[in-house]
Parts: sequence; structure tokens; C-alpha cells
Amino acid sequence: MIEANALPESNQPEDALAAVVALRRLADTLERQAVRAALDQGWSWARIAQALGVSKQAAHKRLSEVAASTSST
Amino acid sequence: MFSRIKSRFGDIDTIKTLCLLAEKHALADQLRAPGAEHFLLAALDLPEDTARQAFERIGADASTLRQAIERQYSDALCSLGVDPKVAKASADEPLPSKLGAYNAAPSGKEVMLALAANRREHGPLLGAHVVAVVAGQQHGVASRALRVMGIDANALKSSAIEIAAGERRAPNLQAHS
Repeated sequence: MIEANALPESNQPEDALAAVVALRRLADTLERQAVRAALDQGWSWARIAQALGVSKQAAHKRLSEVAASTSST
Repeated sequence: MFSRIKSRFGDIDTIKTLCLLAEKHALADQLRAPGAEHFLLAALDLPEDTARQAFERIGADASTLRQAIERQYSDALCSLGVDPKVAKASADEPLPSKLGAYNAAPSGKEVMLALAANRREHGPLLGAHVVAVVAGQQHGVASRALRVMGIDANALKSSAIEIAAGERRAPNLQAHS
């Protein structure tokens, strides 16, 4: 859990923006990992999309590479 | 005339190599589109070695750039109280390469556009030119990584420009042989 008071001060935009970039990269990595695990367990794209709160098309477009790497292993 | 045409074709080869190397670094970094930091890493991979020389000239060790890039991510996550090991544990394998049009991140596109805009000002495209452009960026991952390395970006930019100018006056025959 990220404490609100741990967030970089708003008067330090460089630090705050660096934190945003790092979190986005971490979130993308965790998302791919979670989707890979779901696919391995037989989840459908519709179910994954619903869990992520996005459309099936959006999930498939953004994360289809995970499916490719899962099926190749 | 012939040397200009030859130089132009040489530049195209260098740009192609640079883009492919930058993409490889981006995929290893869990990112789909290469940013300025990946073009900087790619410049260091070029065999003519001028990028590394630009760092060396100011007493910096270019081989620590990759660690510095990772470190600036870790520092940012630590500032939020997030254990950076979470990111490391889940980022062990490079992303698979994707077919289709080449796509760079905005900071990477900025590098390519600046190199294209400065094309007439220099001879063959060198790694040092890439270093000069990236060192000129005030913000972003590459800029933060250089700060982690304790590098004065302006000094690195000047160094890279001097190395590139020197290479133009006296091409490094050893590197190109």
C-alpha cells in the first residue's frame, strides 16, 4: 500500500513525474504477468478484460503478445 | 559528390542499426517502444566507439548506464515506499519482438528528429552525435540516469560534440577497419 504522505511533494514535479513513469512501467509489467497467469489457467479474453475493467478488444490489442508468448512456451 | 552519397548510405545503415539496437534494449527493459535512454545504450553498442569516448573524456564510465537507468526507476519506486524488488522479480525476461511498423517512444522520436535536423551539420552519423542529442534533453529517464551517474549533461554534450568533430577531421581508421 502506498501511503499518501509518501508521495513526492507537488513542489517537486521532477520527482513526482519520475515516480509516475516508474509506477506505469511496474503496472504494465505486473499486468502482463497477471494476464499470462490467467491465460495459463484457461481464462478467456472476455473474463480477463472484465477483470481489468477494459473492453475485450482493448485487452486483446494491448496484451495479445502475452498470449503469443504463452502459447509458444 | 560520391563521398556525400556514400555518407548518406552509411547514415542509413547506422540509423537502421541504431533503431534495431534501441528496440532490443527497450524490450529487455520491458518496454515496447524505445526511448532516448535506449538510443543512448544503442549508441554505446556501435562499433565506432565514439559514444563511449564521449563519456570517457569527462571521466565517466559508460558501462554503468544500464544500471543507472534501473536505479532511477528503483529510486522513484522507493520514494513511494514500493519495494523495487517487486519490479525486478517480474521483469526477468525481455518482451517478445513485435512485427509491424517501427515505433519509438516520444523521447526516442525526439532523438531521431534531432539527428535528422542536424544531419547537414555533421559527416557520417556517429554514436557521439546520439550522445550529444540525448545529453541535451533536460528531463526524462535518460536525463535522470545521467544524474544518477553523477554526470553533468552539459559537459557530456560538449564532450560528445568535440569527439564527433575530432572524428570528422581524422576518422578513426582503427575503428572502421
